[in-house]
Amino acid sequence: MKKLKITNEIRLGMVLVGLMAVLSVISPRFLSLSNLSNVIWSICIIGILASGAIYPRITGGIDLSLGSMAALTGIIVDMFMNKMGVNWIPAILLTMVIGGLIGLFNGFIVAKIKVPAFVVTMAAKTYLYGVALVVSEGAMLAIMKPAPFISIGSDKLLGLPIPIYIMLTLVVISQFVLKRTSFGRQDLAVGPNEVAAKLSGVDPDRVRLISYTISGVTSAIGGVVLASLTRQTFAAAASGIELDVMTALVIGGTSAVGGRGSVVGALLGAIMVAFIVNGLNLLNVPAPYHPIVTGTVIILALLLNEGYLVPKKMTGGVKNQKQAAA
Amino acid sequence: MTTQTNTNDDLLVCKQIVKSYNGPLVLDRVDFSVKRGEVHALVGENGAGKSTIIKVITGATNRNSGDMMFDGQVIPLNHSRNNAQDLGIGVIFQELSLIPGMTVAQNIFLTKEPFFPGTRFINHRLMNRNAQELIDRYQFPLKATDVIDKLSIAQRQLVEILKAMSMNAKLMIMDEPTSSLTKTEVAMLFEIIRKLKSDGISVLYISHRMEEIYALADRVTVLRDGKLVAVLEKEQISPAEIIRLMIGHKLEENALSHKLEPKDGEVVLEVKDLTSVGKFEKVSFKLHEGEILGLGGLVGSGRTEVVRAIYGIDPIDEGSITYLGKPYKPSVLRSIKSGIGFIPEERRLQGILATLSITHNIGITNLDRLAPKFVLNLKKEGEFSREGIKLVNVKPPVPEQLVGNLSGGNQQKVVLAKWLIRNLKLVIIDEPTVGIDIGAKDEIYTHIKNLASQGVSILLVSSDLPELTRLSDRIIVLRKGRVFTEFKDCVVTSEKILRAASGILEEA
Repeated sequence: MKKLKITNEIRLGMVLVGLMAVLSVISPRFLSLSNLSNVIWSICIIGILASGAIYPRITGGIDLSLGSMAALTGIIVDMFMNKMGVNWIPAILLTMVIGGLIGLFNGFIVAKIKVPAFVVTMAAKTYLYGVALVVSEGAMLAIMKPAPFISIGSDKLLGLPIPIYIMLTLVVISQFVLKRTSFGRQDLAVGPNEVAAKLSGVDPDRVRLISYTISGVTSAIGGVVLASLTRQTFAAAASGIELDVMTALVIGGTSAVGGRGSVVGALLGAIMVAFIVNGLNLLNVPAPYHPIVTGTVIILALLLNEGYLVPKKMTGGVKNQKQAAA
Repeated sequence: MTTQTNTNDDLLVCKQIVKSYNGPLVLDRVDFSVKRGEVHALVGENGAGKSTIIKVITGATNRNSGDMMFDGQVIPLNHSRNNAQDLGIGVIFQELSLIPGMTVAQNIFLTKEPFFPGTRFINHRLMNRNAQELIDRYQFPLKATDVIDKLSIAQRQLVEILKAMSMNAKLMIMDEPTSSLTKTEVAMLFEIIRKLKSDGISVLYISHRMEEIYALADRVTVLRDGKLVAVLEKEQISPAEIIRLMIGHKLEENALSHKLEPKDGEVVLEVKDLTSVGKFEKVSFKLHEGEILGLGGLVGSGRTEVVRAIYGIDPIDEGSITYLGKPYKPSVLRSIKSGIGFIPEERRLQGILATLSITHNIGITNLDRLAPKFVLNLKKEGEFSREGIKLVNVKPPVPEQLVGNLSGGNQQKVVLAKWLIRNLKLVIIDEPTVGIDIGAKDEIYTHIKNLASQGVSILLVSSDLPELTRLSDRIIVLRKGRVFTEFKDCVVTSEKILRAASGILEEA
């Protein structure tokens, strides 16, 4: 039989199971279905955004405009449905197209004008927030209709909220595209060595354009789900979520220079952070202490991913990626 | 052969220097000296030991044995860069080491900034004034407050020179300083070298360009295979003589000579008047089926630029390419699809994806076959990887191994493998064996020969002359962006190639 390869995902899964065991001993409430489903539900938007944000990240870039884009698209979908009277399905599709176009614009500046992604998307974060303020006239708007739209965020299927299904579907699609398609391979090759990738027939500019576009589309999906879930839209609705997404990616083992990454890993990473916060809540640890714990966990996860805290035999004798790159 | 009658004249004296990096001797009992106020050229083929002796002198590496004296002081065995600086040895490297965002003055006085008395606050005005004085002394076209970013390569070299002068350098080492300069900039640099010389500063000059050595050098030291071959005095210097000494004597010449036998198969590639302004001009040649066409010439002669243009990396300004009988407009993707492979000169920078596995490295050039409809065939990818590994004998033969963890030779084999598993008609190979061990070198030669015998045409660029003469069926030599001469159906030697590359035409 083939020896089971210890992948990053399996390692994270093991840590997660260990964490669950500890938490369930500490608090019997932890393992209840309602608690678990609540925790997963709380990271749905992060999972949806991460499934797209991983693509620019792997090429060595970053998309920091996710949060502003999600808030803006939430406002836009509400506008389509409740001000312009568009049916909810075309409204959502149109919103996804708009998200994609915004992403494409980010990608264009990064790929063609060669401005660092950090700067481009940081600026986009700011001006998109401004656009959202203008469009919403600075107000927080409640969404009460149409009913099918509201039910996306509130209905359950087989006992689990629908957003969880949406997130899982996107994660699975994204993981498939990343690991099993030619585009995924090209995306992985651009990060570590753009020149070598180019000489091998990859078009790095095209890969970047598509990456940022995907990130725009998933941000719009996240924005739509968030609006439906909270039944309200406002310009700061998702502010700061980009950092949670990046945290999930880091813990999940996504490395720009290493040309490696996993959406499943990112999801496990997001769940891990959520479990830790949940555990701290169950233990009645005051909220101000939570960021100290999560910050520490990020560092530990990073060390783990770089192979520092793992015995050599578990990595198959392969040195860590930093050494391979050196 | 060295003359050591007048030791007082000597600034640097090296006696019986031995250096080895855990294996063969890179420097074998080399005697070497530089006189005060002379321009001394150091020449030799790739691998002759030039850069090693520079490293020994500047303290970048340590010699195993031998005595060194600089300006009357003994240089200890545990010599260091700092020590070299303190003694007055300055180096200008090919890759400049200035900080781009800082001014000329800030770079010159980096870590030696003048402070206001009694404080640790930098006196910028004084620093700028000192820098400007230094600039004015040599009348360099610079201002102390210029930011490095905004300067040309030639100006940056001047800043490097000033940086060394600010440390009272007595010896200035220049390693291929003209490789990226324009004609006027070269003239300016020569003027400056002469000025340094008249100030009593010695210059150790390393170059492949014979005309520069002829124009500048007072004496020339020739190295070959880590050994001192000769020291030529001013009146003995001639390009032909230097080349003869670099390559070796007549006996060796026969052993290394190679009979070229052209192949007359169908023409696979025809290049006509290919021009890229500033890089190469009116380059024309034909490449036949199963033929290995060698492109010789000095670094910067346009060889690499020509093959990059044919593969579709850089644009072409004028001229035409015919490939398989049809006009061909190059682009990387089109080249790959139509059976052209490309093995680039810089393995680490252009060839490998260091942090990805062997499988992914091989897969990336074969995505057209692995994923004709977007979805990857992972089983096939695994087969390709194992096929490639077996074909070129990669060690260790582990498909999941990260390529960055392989040895140089095995990395190059992976780069070869990702093309070999394709159905190729033409392969462009630029410097196939730089920095890899002899064993892997021979294996790579065998693969190149095998490819040709299977009917694949090969365009080979190499600075390694024995490699070029040994592999090629026909050789064209480029010089200053133009085809200078062609060798076919004759006996060729490294010396003939180097003479052509240096602009010396053979008498028939």
